[in-house]
Amino acid sequence: MIKRFKLSRWYHISTLSTAIHSLFAISILACGAPVENRKPVTNQFKVALVTTGPISDQGWNAGAYKGLLMIRDSLGARISNVQTQTPAEIDENFRQYGAQSYNLVFGHGFEYQDPAIRVAPSFPMTAFATTSGTRTAPNVAGVTFAFSDGAYLAGIVAGAASHSGVIGTIGGTQVPPVVAAFKAFEAGARSVNPNVKLLTAYVGNWEDASAAKEQAMAQIARGADVIFQDADAAGLGVFQAARQAKTVRVIGSNSDQNEVAPEVTLGSVVIDLPRAMMMIARDVRNNTFKGHVYQLGDADGVVLWVANPKLAGEVSPATVARLDAAKKVIDAGTLKVPE
Amino acid sequence: MTETLAFVMDMLVHATPLIVAGLAVAIAFRAGIWNIGADGQLIAGATAAAWIGVSTSTEIGWLALPLALIAGAIAGGAWAAIAAWLRSRFGVLEVISTIMLNFIAIYGVSYLVRGPLQEPTHVYPQTSSIVTGAHMPTLVAGTRLHWGFVIALVLAVTAWWVMRYSAAGFRIRASGANPFAARSAGLINVSRVTSVAFIVSGAIAGIAGAIEVSGVTFALYENISPGYGYTAIAVALLAGLNPLGVIGTGILFGALETAAGTMQRNIGVPATTASVIEAVVILAVIAVAQLRVHRATSVA
Repeated sequence: MIKRFKLSRWYHISTLSTAIHSLFAISILACGAPVENRKPVTNQFKVALVTTGPISDQGWNAGAYKGLLMIRDSLGARISNVQTQTPAEIDENFRQYGAQSYNLVFGHGFEYQDPAIRVAPSFPMTAFATTSGTRTAPNVAGVTFAFSDGAYLAGIVAGAASHSGVIGTIGGTQVPPVVAAFKAFEAGARSVNPNVKLLTAYVGNWEDASAAKEQAMAQIARGADVIFQDADAAGLGVFQAARQAKTVRVIGSNSDQNEVAPEVTLGSVVIDLPRAMMMIARDVRNNTFKGHVYQLGDADGVVLWVANPKLAGEVSPATVARLDAAKKVIDAGTLKVPE
Repeated sequence: MTETLAFVMDMLVHATPLIVAGLAVAIAFRAGIWNIGADGQLIAGATAAAWIGVSTSTEIGWLALPLALIAGAIAGGAWAAIAAWLRSRFGVLEVISTIMLNFIAIYGVSYLVRGPLQEPTHVYPQTSSIVTGAHMPTLVAGTRLHWGFVIALVLAVTAWWVMRYSAAGFRIRASGANPFAARSAGLINVSRVTSVAFIVSGAIAGIAGAIEVSGVTFALYENISPGYGYTAIAVALLAGLNPLGVIGTGILFGALETAAGTMQRNIGVPATTASVIEAVVILAVIAVAQLRVHRATSVA
């Protein structure tokens, strides 16, 4: 009974508002076009984020979620996010967001570019942006990050901070962006200490923190005293290993991980995803969105070296000066960070 | 209306691999074979179909699709045949061998999409897209529902008929129900019958993988199966190992998966919560079914 009462009351209100809306619409339009009057006149800006992993990973996906929240707060957008477990679910979610006329859909990973290209023609009013993607269409943009810019700077710090002359890198899986980042890291370290020895290991996935911890302990046993991790959620295991070893230092990736283990973290190579996402959302909002590849790096303020203030004492003024010099060269585009 | 329609279509898309893999499990279990490896067989089938899809020339046109499906069936069957052979030759428990073969399949795909089958730019761990001739045609225009669903229905009805009315089906059921009785009273070559049933089960799971690649993903990825083969066990058991029942339970699980996505998108329920709800629903349904059996037997 109660349910029915509420329902009928809601019905009355909605018919009333519908009537008001139609009056408005008719008076504005004057001519007798068929009026779809259930929707408010102003269309709300709607933005969605699709990730392959949980937004609680304190890394890659968490950063994107932060960006989504920023878009909500500063552009007043309605937001939605979903985690896809399999490639099969990607098309489904893209289509659903397209059908609900979202203005912008972020696919956060390379897996999203083929589905975006496939789905986009059916939803010309929706812009799709895929991070790490390089394929484009009129309403599909790719977003790539010059992560190597930051990795090179991290290498300078690591090369200066290492006492043993052995530094480690631990990646999730051996994908080209990670391989490129480690090469840039090595080049940065060699610019300080040409004899530095680099150890590299891959966890095999992006989630297994205990496997990453084992890899880190193996590298520590071989003398590594600075480890750069780019392994997403698995990378948290590297911090644990360093905490146990005490004298070993870690460099974080993708988001500011300095607070994960402040006593052992020298700094983080941060991709300012929120900033990048805001840039694209603004473009969509201002109708200046183009289906091209957004290439964002240190010069755009999107890839940054963020030092951990708590361990600032461990980085010498000479190293800081070296960092500033390298940054200038990178921003001017004259330093060739190895690919 | 359109949103409901989209939900139903997505539900049937999700249900398709579950129905087909569920049939694979049901047939094996009926034969007394604990095939836990439908997932690996499905992945083997998906891999073979993707290989055909990327390596055939575009000139053969639509022939690529049946070729991909057949390749999927052969690969799935071959994957199961390994476990079947280990079982009949050395008495290796299929529960163990099929689980191990699942891992080999998963990591095998991981290697292939970074090695021989990687897309030409060698950037992304995936194959390039399969030729359009290998695409499963859509069943309802403007939606994702494809003919794979019809194939699933046809397979289910065929499996039901074979299991119930044919001599081969009877031999399978007899071997599964009591292998000793089947051997002594029915003069059935139990080892051979179960081996064949095992391989057929693998072939069907392989078809499920081939359908997934040709109808939904159009390329091979690492996480092509979110454990379809394991969910298929629940699908088959819930249906009482009846091939026709598998259609219903497959659609039920498809609905759960689709609803999980909708909940995430529209009201922000996290994916993990949706998975937990799904598992609780499965437990509840199984518990209720078991309770019914218990009541029925205690009354009698």
